[in-house]
Amino acid sequence: MNIITKNEHWGSRFAFIMAAVGSAVGLGNVWRFPYVCYENGGGAFLIPFLVALFTAGIPMMILEFSVGHWTKSSPPKAFKKIGKKWEWIGWWTVLIPFILAAYYVVVMAWCFSYMIYSIDLRWGVNAEQFFLKSFLGITSSPAVIGDLRIPILLGLLAIWVCVFIILYKGVKRIGKVVAITVPIPTILLIILTIRGLTLPGAIEGISYYLTPNFSRLLDVNVWLAAYAQVFFSLGLAQGIMITYASFLHKKSDITNNAFIVSLADAGTSFLAGFTVFSVVGYLAVSQGVGITELGIGGPNLTFITYPTAISLLPFAASFFGMIFYTALLTFGIDSAFSMIEPVTSGIHDKWKISKAKATGIVCTLGFFASMIFATGGGLYWLEIVDHFIANFGLVAIGLVECLILGWMYKIHKLRDHANKTSDILIGKWWDILIKFVIPFVLCILLAVALINNIINPYMGYPWWIITLGGVVPIITIFLLSFVFMKIRGKEVKT
Amino acid sequence: MILSLSAIAMLIFGSVVLYGGLAYFLYKALKANKK
Repeated sequence: MNIITKNEHWGSRFAFIMAAVGSAVGLGNVWRFPYVCYENGGGAFLIPFLVALFTAGIPMMILEFSVGHWTKSSPPKAFKKIGKKWEWIGWWTVLIPFILAAYYVVVMAWCFSYMIYSIDLRWGVNAEQFFLKSFLGITSSPAVIGDLRIPILLGLLAIWVCVFIILYKGVKRIGKVVAITVPIPTILLIILTIRGLTLPGAIEGISYYLTPNFSRLLDVNVWLAAYAQVFFSLGLAQGIMITYASFLHKKSDITNNAFIVSLADAGTSFLAGFTVFSVVGYLAVSQGVGITELGIGGPNLTFITYPTAISLLPFAASFFGMIFYTALLTFGIDSAFSMIEPVTSGIHDKWKISKAKATGIVCTLGFFASMIFATGGGLYWLEIVDHFIANFGLVAIGLVECLILGWMYKIHKLRDHANKTSDILIGKWWDILIKFVIPFVLCILLAVALINNIINPYMGYPWWIITLGGVVPIITIFLLSFVFMKIRGKEVKT
Repeated sequence: MILSLSAIAMLIFGSVVLYGGLAYFLYKALKANKK
C-alpha cells in the first residue's frame, strides 16, 4: 500500500508558494473582483480592499499557515491537537471545500467546452442564446432538473480525472504541476490585457473600473464587500492553507510566505480588472450601449459578454478566445485540486487509507455530486449552493476558527511559532486582529447575510428550494463533521 | 478619451502597494534563501 506519511514535504519554497498562490487565484479573481470593485466606488474601493487585506486577509493567512506548520497535520488532526473536542471543526473545514469543488469543477467544464468552441466561435452572434439554451439547455426553474448535458458531463469527467492524477501521488507532484499552471494563466492574462488595452473603447472601460467615488467610502456596505472579497479570494477557512502548510519544512518561513501569497492573489485580481474592463469598454463602444447594460461579473461576463466581444475582434478572434478560456481553465485547476487535497489528507491521516485510494474515493464522490450541476437546471442550483456556502458556510468557519484559536487556545503560542521561523516578526497587534477585529467583521457579515436572506429570499425562490440547496448542504456537512469525529480512526504517526 | 487624474492616481496607488509590496516580500524571500 502506498501510505504517504507526513514526512512528505514540498520540493522547495517556490513549490509551496506557487501551490498556495494557485489555490487562492481562481475564477473569482477574474469574474468577481473587477465587478465588486466597480459596484463599490471604482478605484476608491482599493482603499477598503487593501485595509481588509492587511487587517484580515494576511493575518488569517498567517494563522492558517501557523496551524498547519505547527501541527504538521491535515485540518481535522490539527484541530484535534489543539483540543480533542475540536476535531469536528477540522472536518467541517475540509468538507465545505469538497462541496465547493463539486460545482467549481462544473464551471471549469464549461470553460473546457468554450475553449474548444473558440476554434470556430461556435456561440455565433447571440452568445446569450447559445450559452443558456444550446449549451446549458436551461430549464424554466430550479424545480425542473432537465437532462444531463453530455458536453458538460464529458468535461467534468476529464477534469475530475486530472484532479485525481495530480493529487494521488502527493505534494511533490502538486509542486511540479503548479510550476506550470500558475505562471501560464498569468502570462495569458497579461497578453489578453495588452490586447484589450489596444482596442477602441478600452480606456472608457478602464475609466469605469478605476475612477474613484470617494463618497462611497462612508457606506458601511462597501467595507463589508471589501472584507468579503478578501476573505473569499484568498481561499481562507477551507482547510487548504492549513493542509498545504503542513507539508512545509520545519524551518520554513511563515509570515513572509503569507504576504507573498496574499499580495500575488490581490495583484492578479487588480490585473484582471484591466483585462475585463478593457474588453467590456470595447464591446460597449462597438455595440453603442452603456457599460452598465453589459454583464460584468459572474458567468454572464465569462460566457456571454466576453464571447460576444471576442466575436467582434478585428483579427485572431479564435486565438484570443482560446487564450481566455485556457487561462480560466489553468487558473481553476489549481483551485480545484486544492479544494480536494484537505479532505483526502484528512481521510488519510485518520484512517490510514493510502493517499491514492483516498483521492480516488473523494474524486469519484465529487464526480457524482457534480452531476446535478451538469443538468438543465444545474445553473440555478450552482448559484443557490454557491450563495449559501460562501455567505454562511465559509464565513461561519472563519469565525469559529478565529474564536477557537484566539480565545480557547493560547494564540501567542502560534505567534511565537510563526516568529521562530519567519524573517518578518509579528507583534501583539496580530493577536488583537485574530481575537477581536476579524471575528467582529465576520459576525457582521454573517448577520447582514442572514437578515438579507430572511427579508429577501435568494432570487425570490420558494423556501423549499432554498432549504434544499442552501440549508441542507450546510447542515449535512455540519452533522457529518461530528460523525467523522466519532468514527474511530487508525491515525498515521506524524 | 483619457483617464481622469483621480483614476490615474488610483492606478498608481494600487500598483505601488500590490506589485511593489509583492516585489519587496519576494526580494526578502530570495535574500533569506530558506527552504
